[in-house]
Amino acid sequence: MPGRYGVPTDPDYQERLAEFEARIRRGEKIEPGDWMPEEYRRQLIRMISQHAHSEVVGMLPEGAWITRAPSLKRKLILIAKVQDEAGHGQYLYHAAETLGVRREEMLEALLSGRAKYSSIFNYPTLTWADIGTIGWLVDGAAIKNQTMLAQCSYGPYSRAMVRICAEETFHHKQGKEMVLLYAHGTPKQRAMAQDAINRWWWPALMMLGPHDKDSPNTEVLVRWGIKTKTNDQVRQEFINEHAPEILAAGLSIPDPELRYDEKSGNWLHGPINWEEFWQVVGGNGPMNKERLEARRRAHAEGAWVREALQAYAARQQRAVAV
Amino acid sequence: MKPLVKDALIAKLTTLADDEVILAHRNSEWVGHGPILEEDIALANITQDELGHAILWYGLRKELDGSDPDRLAFFRDAYEYRCCELVELPKGDWAFTMLRQYLFDLYESLWLEAAQQSTYPPLAGAAQKIIREERFHLQHTRAWVERLGLGTEESNRRLQQALDFQWGYAQQLFVPIPGEELLVAEGIVPDLVPLKARWLEQASRHLQNAGLKLPINPGYQPTSREQHTEHLWSLLAEMQSTARWDPEAKVW
Amino acid sequence: MDTQWPRWEVFKQDAPGKPHQAVGSVHAADPEHALLTARNVFARRPQAVSLWVVRAEEVFSWTKEEIAQDPALQGGATPARGLRPTSYLVFRKTSHKRSMTFVDHVGEVQACSPQEALREALARFRDAEGLAWWVVAAEKVHRSDPSQETVESWFAPAKEKTYKQQQYYTTVSASRPKRRGEDEAFGEGCAHC
Ligand SMILES: [Fe+2]
Ligand SMILES: [Fe+2]
Ligand SMILES: [Fe+2]
Repeated sequence: MPGRYGVPTDPDYQERLAEFEARIRRGEKIEPGDWMPEEYRRQLIRMISQHAHSEVVGMLPEGAWITRAPSLKRKLILIAKVQDEAGHGQYLYHAAETLGVRREEMLEALLSGRAKYSSIFNYPTLTWADIGTIGWLVDGAAIKNQTMLAQCSYGPYSRAMVRICAEETFHHKQGKEMVLLYAHGTPKQRAMAQDAINRWWWPALMMLGPHDKDSPNTEVLVRWGIKTKTNDQVRQEFINEHAPEILAAGLSIPDPELRYDEKSGNWLHGPINWEEFWQVVGGNGPMNKERLEARRRAHAEGAWVREALQAYAARQQRAVAV
Repeated sequence: MKPLVKDALIAKLTTLADDEVILAHRNSEWVGHGPILEEDIALANITQDELGHAILWYGLRKELDGSDPDRLAFFRDAYEYRCCELVELPKGDWAFTMLRQYLFDLYESLWLEAAQQSTYPPLAGAAQKIIREERFHLQHTRAWVERLGLGTEESNRRLQQALDFQWGYAQQLFVPIPGEELLVAEGIVPDLVPLKARWLEQASRHLQNAGLKLPINPGYQPTSREQHTEHLWSLLAEMQSTARWDPEAKVW
Repeated sequence: MDTQWPRWEVFKQDAPGKPHQAVGSVHAADPEHALLTARNVFARRPQAVSLWVVRAEEVFSWTKEEIAQDPALQGGATPARGLRPTSYLVFRKTSHKRSMTFVDHVGEVQACSPQEALREALARFRDAEGLAWWVVAAEKVHRSDPSQETVESWFAPAKEKTYKQQQYYTTVSASRPKRRGEDEAFGEGCAHC
C-alpha cells in the first residue's frame, strides 16, 4: 500500500521525519507502507534501479565468453554465474517495485539511455582470463558494496542484498580460484592473467564511485541508513583485501604508487583517472553503445514472445469466465 | 563386458554426451539475450542441466576407457563428433529454441525412463538421477509449446515454422548407431523402436492440441551421426578456441 | 501494449514443517507459468520443497505503523453480517534482523474481508509482535504439486549443483582466516554480513 511519502511542505513533516530517523537509529527496517520522506523513496528508486540495470547489463561482458569457456566445468560455472546476475537484477527490480515503480518504467529508462548503470560494464572482455578477473576484482568490489547495503534501512533492498551477497561470494571465489590457477599455470596463461589484471584493476577501483568529496548524495544516504559507509571507505576495504592477494600470487598491480602504509594498516593507491571514469559514465566508454544495443535488441526481439503469453493468459481467463 | 559390447557402449555414451553438449551450447547463446529476465534464468537452468548430463555421460565413458571428458569435448573436430544434426542448428528465434528443447526433452525423458532399467548399473543410476531434471524440463517446454501455439497469430506462425523445419531432423534421435543392437540385446540401453512410437504419439498429441499441424512431408531426415550440418565446424571452432589456444595448458 | 507480464508474490518452503516465506516476486503470464518461473528463479539453489504464488494485487498488507494509525483495524474481529466467511492465509514478519525473507506464513483465518482477516489475525497470533502483516484469500494461492515425484524433480537436483556454492571453492581462501560457520552460512544468509 504505497503512497505514504512525506514532503517538507506537509504540516507534520518535521515531526514524522524525526520519528523516521529515530526508527533508523534504533536499527528498525522501513517496510513498504511505512511513512518515509519522498526524498528517501526517490534516492532508493534511483539507487536500486541503477543497481538492477548494472546486474542486467553486467550479464553481457561475461556472457560473451560462455560459448568459449575452455572446459566443461568452467562453462557450467560461467552459465550459473551470469544467470545469477540476471537473478540479481530480478531481485533488485522487485525491491524497487515495492516503492511503487513498475519494471516497465525502469526498463524503459535503461533502454532509452536515460538511466545509468555501473561504468565497469562498458569495458570489453578481451580474453578468457577477463572472466576470472571480473569474478575476483569486479565481483570482489561489488561484494564490498553489497555487504554494506545488506545493512540498509529499507527492508526490501536489504533482503535483496543478503540474498545477492550469498550468491556473489560464489562469483568471487570462482574468479579468484581461476586467476590463481593461471598465475601458476603455463607462460601463456600467466601472461593472460596479468594482462587482465592490468586492464581491470583501475576500472574496479572506479566502480566504487567518486571520492567522498565529489559524491553529493553520500551524506543524506548515510544519515538515512541507505549507505553505512562512504565510497572511499569501501574502496579502501577492497584494496586492503585484494592488493596483497594479487601480489602474493606473483602478479603485479598497474599502480606504481601502490604501497602498504604501516601506520594506518592501509594499502595506499595512486591517483585515479577520474576523467576516464566520467567519460565512461557519460556514455563514451569503449562498449557503452554495444551494451545498450544488445539490451535493446533482446527486448525488441522478445516483444512477440511476451505478447504471446499475455494473449494465451487472456484466453484462459475468458475460458474460465464463460 | 565383451569387447564388442564395450565398444558399442562407449560409442553410445559419446552420442548421448555430444547431443547434450551441443544442445547446451546452442541454448547458452541465449544467456543475457532472453525475451524477459525470468526466462533468461529459466533457460540457463535447462542449459546447465543438459551440460551436467553431458558431464555424466562422458564420465561413464571415462570409467570404460579412461578418456578425459574435456579432451573429448574440446579437442575432437567435426569428423569425430557424434551429435545429431537437430542440436547443431543455429538457435533461431525463441519458438525455434523452445520447440527443439521440447522435442529433445520428450525424447530424453522417454529414453531415461526406460534406461532406468538398464542392466549396466552405472547407466541405470545416471538415468535415475537425470530423469528428475528432465521431468521438470518437459513440464517447462510443454508449457511453452502450448502457450506459443495458442498465443498470438505470430507466435503460432513462428512455432509452426520451427516445427516444419525441425520435424525431420528430430527423427534422427531414434536412429540406432552401429552396434546399438548389441546393447539392446544385453538390456544395457532401451530399444528405440517402441520409444519412437511413444514419442510420436505424445508429441503429435501435444503439438496438435497447441494448434499446430504436423508436417505431411517431414523433409530431410539425417541417418548417420558421422555426418553433420554445415554449422558444426564453426560451432566447434568457437567453442574450442580458448582450450586450443594454449596447447601446453593442462588445466583450465 | 508491451509489458513485463503481471507480478506474482512467491512463497517458498525450505523443508517440511517449516513455514512458507515471502522470498520475492516473479513476472509471469498465468498461474502455471508463475509457478514454473518461481521454481527457476528461487530454487536454483537448495533448499525448497514447496512454492506458492499469488498475484501481487491479491496481497493485502499492513505494517505495524499503519495498524497503529488506523483504529478500525484494532480490536477483535466483528463478523460482517450476511457474508459467508472464507479462508485467508496470514503471513507475518516479527524481526528487524537481516534476512533473505520477509513475512512467514503463520496460519489461516476465516473472514469476510481482508480487513476482517487482519483483525482476526491480530487477535489470534499474539505469540510475537507483528512488524508487518500480509493477508491473502486462500483461493487466490496457487501451489506447487506436493507429490513426491514433483518435489524430487523440481527441488532435489539443486542440491547436487555444488559448483554454484561457495564451499566448492574452499582451496582458494588464501589469506583471510575463515570465521566459524562462515561457509555453512550459504543459503541461510550472507556470509559477509
Ligand atoms: Fe551480481
Ligand atoms: Fe539432458
Ligand atoms: Fe532436458
